[in-house]
Amino acid sequence: MAERAQLLEQIQETEFQIDDLVLYLDTHPLDNTALDTFKQVKNRRYELLQDYAKKYEPLNQYLVCPDTNNESGSWTEYPDQRHFTWTDGPLPWDCEWEWEQKGGM
Amino acid sequence: MWNYEKRLQFPVKIRKACPRTASLIISQFGGPDGELAASMRYLSQRYTMSDRAVAGLLTDIGTEELAHLEMVCAMIYQLTKNMKPEDAREAGFEAYYIDHTAGIWPTAAAGVPFNACEFQSKGDSITDLFEDLAAEQKARSTYENLIRVIEDPDVLTPLKFLREREIVHFQRFGEALEKVKTTLDEKNFYYFNPEFDWQIGRQQNKQHDRERETMTI
Repeated sequence: MAERAQLLEQIQETEFQIDDLVLYLDTHPLDNTALDTFKQVKNRRYELLQDYAKKYEPLNQYLVCPDTNNESGSWTEYPDQRHFTWTDGPLPWDCEWEWEQKGGM
Repeated sequence: MWNYEKRLQFPVKIRKACPRTASLIISQFGGPDGELAASMRYLSQRYTMSDRAVAGLLTDIGTEELAHLEMVCAMIYQLTKNMKPEDAREAGFEAYYIDHTAGIWPTAAAGVPFNACEFQSKGDSITDLFEDLAAEQKARSTYENLIRVIEDPDVLTPLKFLREREIVHFQRFGEALEKVKTTLDEKNFYYFNPEFDWQIGRQQNKQHDRERETMTI
C-alpha cells in the first residue's frame, strides 16, 4: 500500500480511538485508565497530522502553513510555489483506486 | 462552532459502481432512520437538555452522525460515479436520475424526501432520550437490512462499521438516561418535565425538605 494511504489509515485509526473515548468519557468522566489513554492518543494524533501535513497536505485549517509545500509534490496545482495548501489533496469522497490512476499516491 | 477535517471517519473505497445499491443506501442519508435525521435530532435536542453532561454527549454523538452522513454520501457518490443513462435505467435508478442526475439529495429508499418530522425534539429529557435510544436501534436494523441484501465487500465493510457505531451510541444514551433518572429518582419526581418545569420540582423539593425537618423535630 502506498505510504500516503497508509499514513491516512493510521490517522483514521488514531482519531477513531479518540471519537470512541470521547463518548465513553462523556458518561464515565472519572475513569483513570480511559483518561490516560486519551492523553496518549491525543498526542499521537497531533504527531500523525503534522507528519501528514508535512509530507502531503493539511487535513485541517490549523495545519495550513503557506510557507511550506508538501514534500512529495503530489496532489497540488502549485508545486514549489508559496500557496494556500488547504486546497491541495484529494477530497474525502474521492476513491483511492482513482488516486492510483492519477499517480497521486 | 465546527471544524472540518478533510478525511472520512472510516475509509470508503468502492471499486465497482452499482446505482441499485446506491438507491438502497441513500435511505441512511435522507430516510426516516438515516444519519441526517440522527444528527439533526441530537443537535436540536441538546440546547434544553436538563443535564449538562448529557447535552455534551448529544453534541458529540450529533457530530459523529455528521461524519456518518459524509460516509454514506461518499458511498452513494462512488456507486453512481461515471454512470450512463442506460446504467441508471437497468439499475432501477431512473426516477432518481431524472430529478437529480448523479447529485446527492436526501431521500428515503422508497422515494420519500427527507422531512424534519422524521425526528422529534420534545423538550423533555426522558422523552428525548427514549427517542434517541429507539433511533439508534432503528438505524441498526436498517444497516442490518442493507447488509443482508448487499453482497459487494467494498460496500459491506463501511456498512458494518456504521452498524457497530449505532450499538455504541445506544449504550452511551442508555448511560445518559440512567444519569438523568438517578437525579430524578432522588426526589422521586417523574410527574413533570425536567427541562421545563424544574421550578416546580425545586418548590416541591423545598416543601419535602421542610416536612422532613419537621419530622425529625
